[in-house]
Amino acid sequence: MRSKAPTPKTLPVVDAWKPLPMSHWREEQAAHLLRRIGFSADPRTVKKIIKQPILNALDSRFGQKNPLNPSAEFTEFSKELPNIYFELYNNKNLDPVVKQERQQKKNRDNNKFYRELTMKWYDHARAEENSAQEKFVLFLHDIFVIDQRKVQDAPNLYTFQNALREGVFLNYPQLCKNISREPGMIVYLDLAQNTAKKPNENFARELFELFILGEGHYTENDIKEAARAFTGYRLRKKTEYVYHKRFHDNGQKTVFGKTGNWGGDAVIDIAFEQPAARTFFIRELLKFYLTDGALPHDDYIIALGNLWADNNFEIRYLIDTVFQSRLFFHPAYRGNMVKSPIHFYMGLCQDLNLDIIPLQGPLIRQMLAMGQNLYNPPNVRGWLYGEKWINSTTVSARRQIVNYLFSSINEERLNGNQKKSLADARAANKGNYLVSNERLRPMLKNDGEALTEQLCRFFITELSQQSYVENLSRLIGDPKSQGALYRARNAIIALLQSPAYNLC
Amino acid sequence: MNTPQTNLPLTRREFMRGASGIGFMAFSGFAPAFLARSAMAQNPAPEKDRSILVIIQLAGGNDGLNTVIPHADDNYYNLRPTLGLKKDLLNLNDQLSLHPSLGGLHRLFDQDQLSIVQNVGYPNPNRSHFRSTEIWETGTDGDTYNTSGWLGRFLDNTCSGAPAAEADPVAIHIGDITPQSYLSENPQLVFGMKSRGSLTRGRSPAEKAYEKLLGAEHGEGNPSYLQQTMMNTLITERRIEKMIAGYKPAVPYPQTALGRSLLRISSLIHADAETRLYFASQGGYDTHVNQVGNHARLLGQLSDAMAAFQADLAANRKDDQVLTMTFSEFGRRPGENASRGTDHGTAAPLFVMGKDVKGGVLGEAPNLNLQPKQDLSFSTDFRSVYSTMLDNWLQSDSSQILGERFDAVPFI
Repeated sequence: MRSKAPTPKTLPVVDAWKPLPMSHWREEQAAHLLRRIGFSADPRTVKKIIKQPILNALDSRFGQKNPLNPSAEFTEFSKELPNIYFELYNNKNLDPVVKQERQQKKNRDNNKFYRELTMKWYDHARAEENSAQEKFVLFLHDIFVIDQRKVQDAPNLYTFQNALREGVFLNYPQLCKNISREPGMIVYLDLAQNTAKKPNENFARELFELFILGEGHYTENDIKEAARAFTGYRLRKKTEYVYHKRFHDNGQKTVFGKTGNWGGDAVIDIAFEQPAARTFFIRELLKFYLTDGALPHDDYIIALGNLWADNNFEIRYLIDTVFQSRLFFHPAYRGNMVKSPIHFYMGLCQDLNLDIIPLQGPLIRQMLAMGQNLYNPPNVRGWLYGEKWINSTTVSARRQIVNYLFSSINEERLNGNQKKSLADARAANKGNYLVSNERLRPMLKNDGEALTEQLCRFFITELSQQSYVENLSRLIGDPKSQGALYRARNAIIALLQSPAYNLC
Repeated sequence: MNTPQTNLPLTRREFMRGASGIGFMAFSGFAPAFLARSAMAQNPAPEKDRSILVIIQLAGGNDGLNTVIPHADDNYYNLRPTLGLKKDLLNLNDQLSLHPSLGGLHRLFDQDQLSIVQNVGYPNPNRSHFRSTEIWETGTDGDTYNTSGWLGRFLDNTCSGAPAAEADPVAIHIGDITPQSYLSENPQLVFGMKSRGSLTRGRSPAEKAYEKLLGAEHGEGNPSYLQQTMMNTLITERRIEKMIAGYKPAVPYPQTALGRSLLRISSLIHADAETRLYFASQGGYDTHVNQVGNHARLLGQLSDAMAAFQADLAANRKDDQVLTMTFSEFGRRPGENASRGTDHGTAAPLFVMGKDVKGGVLGEAPNLNLQPKQDLSFSTDFRSVYSTMLDNWLQSDSSQILGERFDAVPFI
C-alpha cells in the first residue's frame, strides 16, 4: 500500500529538512537516492554507499567538476566561427553566391557539431561517475531553456552547457548573472535586440517568470523597467558577450519599488530580495527530483526557502539539504515518478551495462520520438514532466528502443557514415551497445526465485516488486529447463517495457 | 506482410482475459478505477457521419508564389527572372494559374472541390521554421507562446471527460512525433503511426510476456496511468491494424510517403473509425537552392496524392464527410536569391479540398510591387481559416479555442 504524502502534522516542518538518521539509511533508501539523482541503482553501488554517510555519496557525485571535452575539430570550429561571421557580415565585397555557399557550409557544420555535442553528452552522462552532475545540468537546462533550432551555433550551445555545469558550485543569483551573459541565451531570448531605443522584453520577462520568481510575482511595469536595465548586452561576431555602453539606457528605472540607474546584475539582486525568489527554484527542484504529482505542503517549501536565503542561495546547500532530508526519503515519494526519455535511455544503458548507440541518426530520431533530446525542448517553458511524457506515440517509441537493444543489427545495411561511427566507437572500446544472448546466459545459473528477485531488485523500485515477482517467475519458469534463455530474454524485454521500469 | 490474426483481443475486457488467463474482476487494483472512468465518460461516441478534417503539412516553407502563380503581374516576373514560371501553367482565372505539376488539384478546382485561400499569414511574421510552425500549430499570434495546439484545444472543448473505454483515437497522425497542433490540456487518445509497415508485433512470446506484466497489479497515480496508457496503446494498435489490413483503395495511390500516409487515412475513414482529425506531413519545401526541379517534384507528389485520396473518398461515398487542408509555416521571399532559390518569407496560399467546399479563389492577392528583399504582407489571418473550419465544419466554437473571433473565410 502506498504511503500518504506527509503533512506538517505527520512530519513536523522543523524535522522535514533534517538529514535522514543513519539508522534509516538502508538499501531501499540508497537505491531511491541513486535513481533520483542519477539514472539507475546498481545493487553493488547501493551496497557500497550505505556503509558511509549520505553526504559522502553526495560529495563524490557533486564535489568536483567533470568536464565534457569536445573533439579537436569542434574546438577548431569554435575558434573559426567568429571569423566566419565577421566575413559574412562585414565583408561588403563578398560575392553573393560565395556568401550563400559559406552560409550554408556554416549551417551544415553547426548541425554536424550540434549532433556531435549531443552524442558526446549522452556518452558523458552515461558514465556513472558523471550521471548526477549531468542530470543536474539537464535540470538547469530545463529552467534556462535554449533551443538548438534558434541558437544554431554549436559553440554557443557548448559554452552554455559549461555555464550550467558550473552552476553546482555557485549561488543561484550568480548563475543567473552568468547565464544572462551567455551567447546562447542572448540569442535565444533576443537580448542583443534589446536597446535603449527599441527595448525587447523577452529576456526580462523570462528572467522573472521562468528563472527567478514565477508567474504572478511581478508586474508588467517591472518587466518594462527591467528590460531597460539589460540594454547594452550584445554579442561580438555572434559568439562573444560584450557590454556596449552606447546601447544602454542610462535613465532611472524602478524595479519592485526600487529606483536607480540599474544594470542587469542589480536587477537580478533586487529580484532575489523578493520573497518569491526564495521558493521558486526550490519548487522547480522538487518537481524535477521529488514528485511530478502534488508538491509537498507549502510550509515545507517556505521553511527551506528561508534556510536557503540564509545560506546565500548556494546551490550546493540545496543539493546537500534536499537529498539528505527526511522529506526526500519519505515513502510517499518512492517509485512513482515517470522517467524522462533521457532518464529512460540512460538508465537502460547503465542497467544493461551498454555503451550508447553510436549511430547518430537512429539515436537522435528515437530520442525525439520519445519526446526529448538535448537542446530540443518543446518551447521556452521547457519539457513537461510526469504523465505528459506518456502517450501512445511515446510509449511505442520507448518499447521500440528496448526491442532495438535486444536485436541484432545487420551491419551490411548501415550507411557509410554509420559504419564509420561504429568502427570509431569500437576503436574507442565503446561499441558494445546491444544485448547479446551470451550476456544473458550467466543469469541462468541462479535458481528461479533468486533470478526473478535479482531482476526486480536490479531494474525496478520496491513499490512494484511484489506484484512483478510472481508474474516474472511464471514467465521464466525453471532456468535449467529447455528454452529458458529465450524465455528469460523475453521476460527481461517485457520488464524493461513495463510500467514499473518507466518509473523511478 | 503478416497475415492478420483473428483471435487478437480487441477490447480491454478480452485483453485482460487473454493476458492473465484468469477473470477480469480479479484485477481489483485496476478494475474499479477503469470502470469508473468509462462510466464517467459523459460524451457519447461521435456519430458515424461526423465531419472529418485532414491536415497536410508542407514542411519547410512552401513557395506560394510558384504554387499559385500571378501570371498577369509583371512584378512577379521582375522579382523572379529565372524562377518565374511561364510555360504549361494551369489556368485558374485571368490573373492566376496553378503550377504545372498541380494537374490533379486543377481538375478538382474545375469541379469546385478545391478552394484556394490567397496570401494567408499572421502579423509580425517570424522566419524561423520552428517558431513559425509553432505559431501555426498553436494558433496564436507571433508574440504569444502556448503549449497547447489549436486542434488539441478543439479536442479539450469537444471531448470533455475521460476517453471512453472502447473508443477509437480522437486524432491520428502519421509520423513519429505528435504534431504540436494536437497537444491538449486534458489527456486525449491521440495515436501516431508510420506511413508503412505493420503496427503490431503480432502475438509473439515477447509480446505475450509484455501483456502479462501489464496485467499485474499497479498502484494508483502514475503506475496505473502508465498501465492504462500502455493497454490503450496496445488495444488501439490492434484495432487500427485490423482496420487498415487488407484495405483495397478504389484508385491507385502514388508510391510516395504522402501517398502512403493518405492511403492509411482513407482506410481508417472507410472503416468508420470514430477519429475526426488526421495529420500527415510532406517535407522538403525549404528550397533555398536550385528550386525549380525540386519544387515541381514536391508539388507533383502533393497533387497526385491529394487527388488519389479525394477520388478514393468519392468512390467510397465518404467525400461528403471529409475536408482536407494544407498549411506551411511560411511562404518564401518574393524576390529570388542568387542560388536560383528562395529564402524564408511570410504569407502564402493554402488549399482546402472536399466535396463540400465552395471552390474558387478566396481572399486578396498579395501586392507584388516590392523591393527585392521585401516580403509579402498577409491579407488573410490563418486563424480566420481555422475559425471557419472550427465553426462551420467541426461545429465547434472557435472563439473558445482561438481566444477571439476572426472573420470567416467563405470556403464552405
